[in-house]
Amino acid sequence: MTFNELSERLRTKFGPDAAPPAEGAPEALTVRSSAIQEMARFCKEDPELDLNVLSCLTGVDRKDRIELVYHLLSYRKRHELVLKAALDRAKPEIPTVETVWKTANWHERECFDLLGVNFLGHSDLRRILLPEDWAGYPLRKDYVAPTEYHGMSHARVNPLHEPEAPADRKQAELKDLSQLKSLYQPVAGEMVVNMGPQHPSTHGVLNFLLVTDGEVMHKAVPHIGYLHRGMEKMAESIPYPGYMPFTDRLDYLAAMSANQGYAMAVEKLLGCAVPPRGEYLRVLACELNRIASHLVATGSMAMDIGAFTPFLHWLREREYINDIMEEICGARLTYNYMRIGGVSHDLPDGVADKILRWMDHFAPITDEFERLISNNEIFVQRLAGVAAISAEEAIDFGLVGPNLRASTVPWDLRRNMPYSAYADFQFDIPLGQGFRGTAGDCYDRFVVRVLEMRESCRIIRQALAAMPAGDIRAKLPRRLKVPPGETYARVEAPRGEMGFYLISDGQETPYRLKVRTGSFTAMSIIEKLSHGVMIADLVAIIGSLDVVAPEVDR
Amino acid sequence: MEYLLTNTEWFLNWGRKSSIWYLLFASACCGIELMQAGGPRTDLDRFGAVPRATPRQADLLIVAGTITYKMAERVRLLYEQMAEPRYVIAMGSCANCGGLFQGSYSVLKGVDKIVPVDIYLPGCPPRPEALADAILKLQQKMSEEKWLRNLRA
Repeated sequence: MTFNELSERLRTKFGPDAAPPAEGAPEALTVRSSAIQEMARFCKEDPELDLNVLSCLTGVDRKDRIELVYHLLSYRKRHELVLKAALDRAKPEIPTVETVWKTANWHERECFDLLGVNFLGHSDLRRILLPEDWAGYPLRKDYVAPTEYHGMSHARVNPLHEPEAPADRKQAELKDLSQLKSLYQPVAGEMVVNMGPQHPSTHGVLNFLLVTDGEVMHKAVPHIGYLHRGMEKMAESIPYPGYMPFTDRLDYLAAMSANQGYAMAVEKLLGCAVPPRGEYLRVLACELNRIASHLVATGSMAMDIGAFTPFLHWLREREYINDIMEEICGARLTYNYMRIGGVSHDLPDGVADKILRWMDHFAPITDEFERLISNNEIFVQRLAGVAAISAEEAIDFGLVGPNLRASTVPWDLRRNMPYSAYADFQFDIPLGQGFRGTAGDCYDRFVVRVLEMRESCRIIRQALAAMPAGDIRAKLPRRLKVPPGETYARVEAPRGEMGFYLISDGQETPYRLKVRTGSFTAMSIIEKLSHGVMIADLVAIIGSLDVVAPEVDR
Repeated sequence: MEYLLTNTEWFLNWGRKSSIWYLLFASACCGIELMQAGGPRTDLDRFGAVPRATPRQADLLIVAGTITYKMAERVRLLYEQMAEPRYVIAMGSCANCGGLFQGSYSVLKGVDKIVPVDIYLPGCPPRPEALADAILKLQQKMSEEKWLRNLRA
């Protein structure tokens, strides 16, 4: 259904509660805030609308009001709808939609944390990314950053300008560290174990509070935000092309996809087309990066379970990909390869052959990996049937990417909403089918990733064979001024849908950038999954969901 | 006496520098390069540097990546849990000075604000070779230490 049909259907049902956009404004329905819950439920349950996915929920400070934005999507009908609600800036309040989509719980907490929106009826409304005792709401336009936090000063002296300023080097007097607050008060018979932020199998600085009874867990409560670097706020002060290196660091294992998502969002607003060769190079780079990312995901998962050798094998393969990447774009990890309108460099001579040679070498290694670990009975026993996620649950919690497909939902943006040059290629979408246990269990999530690496190789071969000639980048001025408007660009990153919600007010810097990431929603399901499993299984669950800390916290 | 001291010191330092156990702690992008440095190509194990999962057994804290204010006190806690003598490498621009995220409201502007740093390793992220070089530099620093003489004085 088109936007007009969707909004017509909602308007006949709700009348004046849903107002269409003004002339020239972006396509979005403005909703009366008191009616949001009812309308959200209708959107989800009405068979014609069937908007079963809440892709993104965020807020924007419009200076005179706070605007909440809901991006809805239908997996079956493949249409999307944007709902907006205007809230009073002095006292922003709106009913929660947590009862409709469970994923809204964390999105709303983030919105409360960064914008100070009060969600009425929310079950657990507290800060999620910033420390509990933080003052102010950073994404408000009039926010002033504090000069210090717990005695750590915010200033940094430049040693080149002020070489004799020793005050800066003095370490802050920190308060008694044993006073670090305990986040949960156990009841009788419960024991609380703290896992992280420094733990070898939390994949970065994540913290879990395990409430256990002996070896069986009652629940594991994830605490995130230890790597919240304020990327969304920083975007508001950096010119459009200059923000590209930051997207690298959004998800350091899959920097290419983040690059591409951001570039696509800006290109959509500019209305500029990428030359075919540019698109093919993007696909090539993204798929190579997808393999590199899945290598770490599957390898470190095996390591968490206790098999160290496969991880080292995959690190060795990853070095080869890093070498190729270095030749393509000059960096091993943070590529900064994409430019708005194309890519930065053409493929150097001989690299295509090098990639083909590497893939010839990689195929038998993958077979060996499957023999060594995927079909290893001990490994299978640890994963099969553990923490199965049903298809409905996966959609409800907003899981995306391989985690969603392992739960048998056939949804891949590369296939279902093709972007870039993906429509030109033949490839399969591996789905979970209960390979050794239940569909959607940890083992399925693992196998889906291994299969995806093989599919990526297929795409790379096709892209190299059919690489068109021509420009690699559209001609754009150096100082970009993006016309006012807003857009939401989705890419299929290795950790699932990455959404860039970009608002421009016609200046050289974005007005607001919101990044919706796959790891964030994947983290939110852990509390639900961890009920009643053994402590050792939690490591398997975290590994199988493949969360990456900076993508969770941004 | 001086001869004995020198030789004992040399022996102690040799032992210490040949088994630098670093804490398996990675906070951001640099952590991936740290991981690759422990992998087959750079292989930090050559220098006796192997990862340990607990600070109680570690000699070296490699601060690999951005430290936010929320994390800062935990890093200090990790440092305090390590047994002396202990060393710190600030790996990458973020750990040195806040790096790319210096303008952010939630990022600590350099890990030397909370723990003393022995080696500053620039780069965003530094290559594994650079990390290996930092370990070698640290070994050099260790081999010149005069613990016994300081004790006597």
